Amino acid sequence: MRGSAVPLQRSTRTLLGVGVALLVLVIGAAVLADVLAAHPPNRASGPPYARPSSAHWLGTDDLGRDLFSQLLHGARVSLAVGLIAATLATLLGTAVGLVAGWVGGWVDALAMRLVDLTLALPFLVLVLVLAAYFGRGLETLTLLIAGVLWARPARLLRSQVLKVSRFGHVRAAQVMGASVARILLRHVLPRMVPLLTSVFVRAAAVAVIVQAGVAFLGLGDPHRISWGGTLFFANNGAAILTDAWLWWIIPPGMALAVVIVGLAFVGYALEERAEPRLVSHGWRRPVRRRLPADPAPPAPTGTILDVRGLTVRYGTAIAVGQMSIAVRRGRVLGIVGESGSGKSTLVLAVLGLLPTEGVVAAGEVVLGDVDLRRIGRDGLTALRGREVALVPQAAMNLLDPTMTVHAQVAEVARRTAGRDGAAARAHELLELVGVARGRHRAHPHELSGGMRQRVVIAMAVANGPRLLIADEPTTGLDVVTQAEVLQLLHRLRREMDLELVLVTHDLGVVRAHADDVVVMQDAQVVEHGPVAILDRPEHPHLQELLARSPSLDGPIRPWSQRVDAVVAP
Amino acid sequence: MPRWVRTAAQYLAVLLAAVLLNFALPRLAPGDAVDYLVPPASGVQDPEVRQRLLERYDLDGSAGSQLARYLGGLLQGDLGVSVRDTRPVTTVLADRIGWSALLVGTAVLASTVIGVGLGFAAGWRRGSARDVGTLGGVLAVDALPAFFVGLMLLLVFSVELGWFPVYGATGSSRATGLAWSVDVARRLVLPGATLTLAGLGSVFIVARAAMIAEVGEDYLFGARAHGLTERQVRRHARRNALIPTSTASLLGLSTLVGAATVVETVFAYPGLGSLAIESVRARDYPVLQGVFLLLAVVAIGVNLLNDLLYPLLDPRVRRGQTA
Repeated sequence: MRGSAVPLQRSTRTLLGVGVALLVLVIGAAVLADVLAAHPPNRASGPPYARPSSAHWLGTDDLGRDLFSQLLHGARVSLAVGLIAATLATLLGTAVGLVAGWVGGWVDALAMRLVDLTLALPFLVLVLVLAAYFGRGLETLTLLIAGVLWARPARLLRSQVLKVSRFGHVRAAQVMGASVARILLRHVLPRMVPLLTSVFVRAAAVAVIVQAGVAFLGLGDPHRISWGGTLFFANNGAAILTDAWLWWIIPPGMALAVVIVGLAFVGYALEERAEPRLVSHGWRRPVRRRLPADPAPPAPTGTILDVRGLTVRYGTAIAVGQMSIAVRRGRVLGIVGESGSGKSTLVLAVLGLLPTEGVVAAGEVVLGDVDLRRIGRDGLTALRGREVALVPQAAMNLLDPTMTVHAQVAEVARRTAGRDGAAARAHELLELVGVARGRHRAHPHELSGGMRQRVVIAMAVANGPRLLIADEPTTGLDVVTQAEVLQLLHRLRREMDLELVLVTHDLGVVRAHADDVVVMQDAQVVEHGPVAILDRPEHPHLQELLARSPSLDGPIRPWSQRVDAVVAP
Repeated sequence: MPRWVRTAAQYLAVLLAAVLLNFALPRLAPGDAVDYLVPPASGVQDPEVRQRLLERYDLDGSAGSQLARYLGGLLQGDLGVSVRDTRPVTTVLADRIGWSALLVGTAVLASTVIGVGLGFAAGWRRGSARDVGTLGGVLAVDALPAFFVGLMLLLVFSVELGWFPVYGATGSSRATGLAWSVDVARRLVLPGATLTLAGLGSVFIVARAAMIAEVGEDYLFGARAHGLTERQVRRHARRNALIPTSTASLLGLSTLVGAATVVETVFAYPGLGSLAIESVRARDYPVLQGVFLLLAVVAIGVNLLNDLLYPLLDPRVRRGQTA
């Protein structure tokens, strides 16, 4: 959570750079106002309504005051109000948030309702009402703005405190009897620093806008020159009806925009740093590849899926190297290997579902007589679920949390069942996989892991695929459910006439449920053939794998010994 | 205690706090309340006049009796009388609230639709040129003060091009029916556009962040694996991203109401915002209090609506409550 640990995206760094540059510009204007401006901002130094000239670079207003000088001096007011109000609001909000989050109970409830009210009321109106009673001097106004702005930091800080106070080391400090103040200051507050800086910058931007708004409405401090005030006089002086708007309205308006854009850009970058969750998924344009001109030769008769010399890379790392497998009609293929051996990458590559960083570097994938490299992205989409279906890894987590399972199955089934038939077909499918009618209207979070797994299987077979690939279909399920899910897959295979590929790290599953096996290790196929080869391992890697592999059935022993063990008394 | 009872009690407490604040503000403020009605500089120092004024605006008697009368009046829908034209405050508010609702309603609708559309599109392709371009552009537009944007739109479309009337919500002519509606719509365009731009930024930021949070979610991979088209996959992402977005944009309503005060003033639009400003200038504090109370009630109502709406949008919360 510490900001420095999270690198900013390039786009964000650009925003940050632009933002800082804009702010530096304004700070420069504020600091050098007396040096750069030849005239006082708040006393007449020329004729009223003067056009820009060498004496008055931006002309004068209705009272003959120099507009260029007002522009420079206005920077001081905006920056001062922003800085002071934001500091006060952040301090107050931090204090309230820390106490409310830490103490909890009715103190928390009360504080948060107050925060709700303050946040719900329009800032500007609240400040105007308060200023109507408490006075409109710039100092008072700044205090009032701070008094309205504290609520957002308070709410953010509170939720962070609630989160942090569950962390181990904070709990530990608590148990060891550290004082509350010490825990908050030493353990909790430091984690808030990135959040606080972004909160501070945001508060500053709002403060600047509110002050300018009040001044523009003519309710600000009549003795201070500010950008909002200049615009008030311009509006009253009907500057938009003549070309005076060019030098009277545009400069202060743009100056305000510069400050606020600067703060917004910087604030945005800081916010992203405080919330790394926003950083994790960068989008990359998918690499558009030339489709190979010559079709690969069709798969031999009896082979559904033929993978020939497939190589998949993630950057320089090879996830699948020169891999060839064949799925033959009527035989369940088990692909087995340790996690990280490339099994899932293989499956994803076949279906064209690799993440953007994954690249198919070489090889052919042929489904029947279709060369999958030549059909493009839309072709692959059309093929998924229709020809080849996938029950992905951790399938039970792949359902949309906002929709009923029936609606999700129906959405998939619509491709073949049509708009009208989809609902009925979805009920059928759910019943087929063993989800009782009463649970069809349930949302995913209301179902057990095993039930969700069944729903995903129903979705996979909804459009009558010829080939079903189940990636770790039993992982994360209890033993009884594992057996049920495997039985279900077998039943579907028979009833729906589809070919089955089981991808798993569990040798027991492969031995019991597959006819052929492919053993993978370190992105390579190390062994393939009928499952019986698992019992007569010749390959040194395979022996190693078998020795390491935890299995429900205990260590693998030669077939003959196993039979003996069962038969022997 | 059921959850909704607690929620209701909390909202009632907030409402009461707002009412008390409203009661207390003019009485706690420095100086004498009558000083606000009749500035000392105006020379009215006659004690009898002062006493009559105090009575008229319910400022005489002890704090307790004042509060009792204030609350009693509130319950009967009596908010006092305007200092400027002695009409009941409720009548003054009723004159204005429709225009405010029209203006703010239009802007909320437009900024939500545009902001969510842009935000979802940008978030879906986070870091792409389109994303960075929209983000920078929206942040920049958002940074322009609403009154500045309003003045510029007035300048370009009313003064220079003459496409739209300059001021007000209706023309002076006694047009009726369709002609009247067209006139109202034409006069709504510029203030509506200004306010829409003012509200766009916050909706966009929230929508974009919500979409970014969904992009890596597993259910999208699931949808792709089952052969759903990219359009269908995006629809799933949008459904899920709408949940956080909708509550945030409801809560962003208050920003728009605040911006409406300046926008209404720029365009001389007869809503509650300009009423508040006029009241401050005219020291018409009964009306100012009325506006404040009305806005507070609306704000609390929006929060309540948000609390009630959230479970309907997110099934996980819905079940969590009843279970």
